[in-house]
Amino acid sequence: MAQRSDTYPVEPLPHHVSDAPSWLGRAFQGLRLFIRRNPLSAFWGGVALVIITIAIIAPLIAPYDPLRANFRRMTKAPDAQNYFGTDQIGRDNLSRVIHGSRSSLLVAISAVLLGTTTGSLWGLASGYIGGRFDIVSQRLIEFLQSFPDLILAMAISMALGTGVGTVIVAIAITRIPFGGRVIRAVALSLKEIAYVEAARGIGASTWRIMARHILPQCVAPYLILATTHLGVAIIIEAALGFLGVGVPPPTPTWGNLLADSLNSGLVPPWWLVVFPGLAITLTVLAFNLFGDGIRDILDPRLRGSR
Amino acid sequence: MYKYILRRLAFGGLTIFGVSVIIFMVLRVLPGDPLVAIFGMEGFTKLTAEERARYMADLGLSDPLPVQYLRWLRDIAAGKLGKSFFRDENVADLIIRRGPLSAEIGILSVIFSWILGLPVGIISALRPNSLADNTARFFSILFLAVPGFWLGMLIVLALLFWFGYKAPLIGVPLWVDPWTNLQIVIWPAVVLAVGQAAYIARMARSSLLEVIREDYVRTARAKGLVEQLVVVRHALPNALLPIITLSGILMGFVLAGSIPVERAFGVPGLGRAMFTAVIERDVFVMQNLVFLYSVVFVVLNVLVDITYAWLDPRIHY
Repeated sequence: MAQRSDTYPVEPLPHHVSDAPSWLGRAFQGLRLFIRRNPLSAFWGGVALVIITIAIIAPLIAPYDPLRANFRRMTKAPDAQNYFGTDQIGRDNLSRVIHGSRSSLLVAISAVLLGTTTGSLWGLASGYIGGRFDIVSQRLIEFLQSFPDLILAMAISMALGTGVGTVIVAIAITRIPFGGRVIRAVALSLKEIAYVEAARGIGASTWRIMARHILPQCVAPYLILATTHLGVAIIIEAALGFLGVGVPPPTPTWGNLLADSLNSGLVPPWWLVVFPGLAITLTVLAFNLFGDGIRDILDPRLRGSR
Repeated sequence: MYKYILRRLAFGGLTIFGVSVIIFMVLRVLPGDPLVAIFGMEGFTKLTAEERARYMADLGLSDPLPVQYLRWLRDIAAGKLGKSFFRDENVADLIIRRGPLSAEIGILSVIFSWILGLPVGIISALRPNSLADNTARFFSILFLAVPGFWLGMLIVLALLFWFGYKAPLIGVPLWVDPWTNLQIVIWPAVVLAVGQAAYIARMARSSLLEVIREDYVRTARAKGLVEQLVVVRHALPNALLPIITLSGILMGFVLAGSIPVERAFGVPGLGRAMFTAVIERDVFVMQNLVFLYSVVFVVLNVLVDITYAWLDPRIHY
């Protein structure tokens, strides 16, 4: 600041014309850098954005009501009237796939946010506080990790009774161990660093240090975790729906659509199988590749690995 | 080494104990009233007070929770595992009848995944950024995003449309009718293998790429060794270790993935039993099956860790 006032002997410039870019400009610059460095993943980020937009404005773009049965057009193959065909009671498959994105994304995103946040805060406290709390936490996390994730989610979802909230909690619990492990490692590595020790030396409380000095350093790994787990969460949600312990019917979710297709008898009509599955695959692909890009940007050490 | 194995086994035992407590809490304590878990909220409210009391007494649910928990542990130790709430079938019998099919699928899928994933990873690593490498990476990224059960449904449809083929629906043990048995397990195993192979190929690529830069690989090349030998004898063994660990972690993927995959193919295995238990809200079957899957997962991972320590001469405990 001292040098700055030497070069500008007049009044210091008003804040809004200073050459330091605003946060909006910085975000825009970051975005440009991201696109230049990783065009593929930026493209898939765009696809993810489009899918999320579709989910938000679903009622505006879906051609029919996803729940309205039309008994004159039952189990019809795709044609000009129903682009994705109709199901066994004549509901429009395209509208159901579009509306399915809502619950699927809502569940996956909330579950990842809830699970990763809980796990990260737990890992942060466990790593920084250490001692007996850490030992117990580590064992608990290990126990949680000893369940194949889908099976744990099935058990929790069954125990709590089906519902959107239940599915979110069930998937979130399977994500806790990942946040716990990764953020604990970050907290451990920061614990003995000079500025943290300095903060301890001037008498800052444990809470203050964790909140003001350790937490900001955990943001990057947290974002990496959250984005890389979105794809998995979507697949678990679909599997839960497929197994009948997801969001209860008649709400259309991609997993429920696939489960419904099996209700028509031994062989499901192909359009009821292909389109919801394509929606899942495309969404997971978009989130995974976007997540890879985020990881490359935020953690250069990991570039090209995994 | 023995000390390490013993310690690892002890940790495994502790983990299994912890897992059993968590299962008990989730399935028996979390729903508040176990009858809620069995009948569902609506069904529960329809029951009269006497009916509730009778069911509770019948199922041995009126005892204090710790007593119930200990009784469950005793049942497991005695190999009884309790009875299904809706069917007149012992859970232990259920596992013996349906388990082998699922075990076959699991083992086959691991074998397939190595056969498929390892060569792909090696080719990728030897010619990084070549056409073959990019194709392989494209497919591994794709198969990480494709849900296994959906792929299974597509395969069922495709086989039926183009070949008019349908896999037999009745489970037959391997030793009775190997051909029918193989027809049942082969496709679920392939589907599960493809998902695992995607992970294995990725890991094999990155791990081999790292090893191939090492001095000893350069030395092997410098002394004039044929490239195949350099890879097979010098690079590969060192690159394999992380892949073995990964394969252990992927057991969770196989165990969990087999449930929807078995449903997609209509395989009458353990996954189907689990699916039925969930649909019927059969808490006791569910409790024991979840425990079984977790124990298998923990034991396999202990074995993988021990194998790892045994294979890696740098690790001395």
